Amino acid sequence: MRTITYCQAISEAYREEMRRDSAVYLIGEDVGRWGNLFGASRGLLEEFGPAQVKDAPISEAAIAGCAVGSAVLGMRPIVEIMYIDFITIAMDQMVNHAARYHQLSGGAIKVPVVFRTQGGVGMRNSSQHSQSLENWFVNVPGLITVMPSTPADVKGLLKSAVRNDNPVVFIEHKALYFTKGEVPEEEYLTPLGVADVKRKGTDATIIATSWMVLHALEAAEQLAAEGIDCEVVDPRTLWPLDKQTLCDSVSRTRRCVVVTEAPAEGGWSAEAAAVVTEECFTNLLAPVKRVCGMRTGIPYGAELEKAVVPNADWIAAGVRELVS
Amino acid sequence: MDSDRLLSLYRQMVLLRHFDEMCLQLKLKDLIMNGFHPYSGQEAVAVGVCAGLGPDDHVMSNHRPQGHSIAKGSPPRAVFAEMLGRRGGVSQGIGGPMQWIDAPRNFICGSIVGSGITVATGVALAMQREARGPVCVCFYGDGASNTGSFHEGLNLAAIWKLPVVYICENNQYGEAMPVREFVSVEPIARRAAAYGLEGVCVDGMDVEAVAEAAGAGIAQCHTGTGPVFIECVTYRFRGHYGGDPEHTYRTKAEVAEWRQRCPIKRCRERLVAEGTDQATLDALEGEIHSQLDADQAWALAQPFPTVEQATDHVWIPLS
Repeated sequence: MRTITYCQAISEAYREEMRRDSAVYLIGEDVGRWGNLFGASRGLLEEFGPAQVKDAPISEAAIAGCAVGSAVLGMRPIVEIMYIDFITIAMDQMVNHAARYHQLSGGAIKVPVVFRTQGGVGMRNSSQHSQSLENWFVNVPGLITVMPSTPADVKGLLKSAVRNDNPVVFIEHKALYFTKGEVPEEEYLTPLGVADVKRKGTDATIIATSWMVLHALEAAEQLAAEGIDCEVVDPRTLWPLDKQTLCDSVSRTRRCVVVTEAPAEGGWSAEAAAVVTEECFTNLLAPVKRVCGMRTGIPYGAELEKAVVPNADWIAAGVRELVS
Repeated sequence: MDSDRLLSLYRQMVLLRHFDEMCLQLKLKDLIMNGFHPYSGQEAVAVGVCAGLGPDDHVMSNHRPQGHSIAKGSPPRAVFAEMLGRRGGVSQGIGGPMQWIDAPRNFICGSIVGSGITVATGVALAMQREARGPVCVCFYGDGASNTGSFHEGLNLAAIWKLPVVYICENNQYGEAMPVREFVSVEPIARRAAAYGLEGVCVDGMDVEAVAEAAGAGIAQCHTGTGPVFIECVTYRFRGHYGGDPEHTYRTKAEVAEWRQRCPIKRCRERLVAEGTDQATLDALEGEIHSQLDADQAWALAQPFPTVEQATDHVWIPLS
């Protein structure tokens, strides 16, 4: 199978969905001329024109509100919020409007907006351009939250998100854009709400999200050399959560480590740990362990920013605690 | 304006006033539970603006939506039921007095001050696909003109020439704070210039003036030249919410002075001066009162939503 980058996979998803349905349009800061910071929408303005690729002013509230309003009338916007840190400006439109209209209209109105953004460390951009803020969205009834970790997943999930009639918060990771992976040439969709086992194993389950999936796989390799065989499960969609896949895995391995780049407190990692504990308690050989980012503003600098979020060593250490 | 048209606007204003006063009584009896923001005094704005709208036009409203919603065509009984949190309400009793969606009437309102201004841009963006298509009217208050959403929304609508008629309903107070203390310019319509818009300021206690300005604004939007900004200077006769401590921020004399400019009183005087007899107007009011009494009785007889219904339509499950 051919190999492409995560960023190219996004670009393909855009093209396919925009060609398929002219109601799909892209709106955000520098999505047109620049073609997105990472090149994910490069060439789209030329192919689809300014009605389908809308460069917007630096006005996240207006961008998000505009997307919501247009979705009410049947358009299918893909909003790009350049950094997840900027989504704070758009929260009102996402939480009070996008997430509420379907219910308030008794099901009459659908809000099929994809809010695409990217979070995490990796660009030495310090504390207002590097955060992991996904937990907020998981807490809002009415929103679907997706965090793809591989090129194949990002393409298939983005296409599904565009076709879904709910508002979807689609969170990528800046450290993933130039990672490569196998992506089928032919068209496919990856279902929302379905987890994926990225590595089979028997001794412990590592549940990891986004960039942390890569670290978890690396940790699993380290541990394999020590004779500990780990399973790595990527939920892909944080809500609705595929509890079945998570719990099937943990029921077999009987040990579980949850890994997120976001701080642990009040986060999705607690949700995952609670689900596993509720469903698999009698199977567990040890308490569920969390390995999460430090509770700090992300510091500046290449070394320091990576020192405050989990890596393969942290994860491997977490697993060893449960196995020993 | 001819007498027949003026009479129809008068009728609408009387309906809104009486509806509002009935709601206030329901609030004082705790049958409307919370979140009711009276509209009494501002009727000329909702009625004058909505007189120029058709069914395909959209209205985006705020936390004081009942006048806008009924003027856009929502049945009063369904708005009563929503106020009371009953099934049969415009949002099936789930939304309450300051957030509902009447999808068949293309009406949305919400209680976050200013944020509807950004959503209106998107409604208009979708409308813009069609030449001389419908327009979106966005009602908001003086207080909303200080929010980031206002400035972001107006700028976006202006640069993309979106068909939005922005109606700034300046009722003199942002909750308890007087507008002169919290808006940096007077009139607020001057803010339109920052976005290259004209900014019209009209007497919001005069339904004919509002209807004329809004009609011109809607017609201008149809030409594709972009958004229109109209400030309607008005006054709310009742508190920010039903039963607020009004004495802490305004005097009885001030309220009495504004009541002299009551839009309904003025309209009635005009109708009588132009030959409509008092008995006709009295009869019309009587009809409205009886109809609203029946609507209220209907709404009070509706059941409350069940807990199961409270979780309906939160999202569309994955297939």
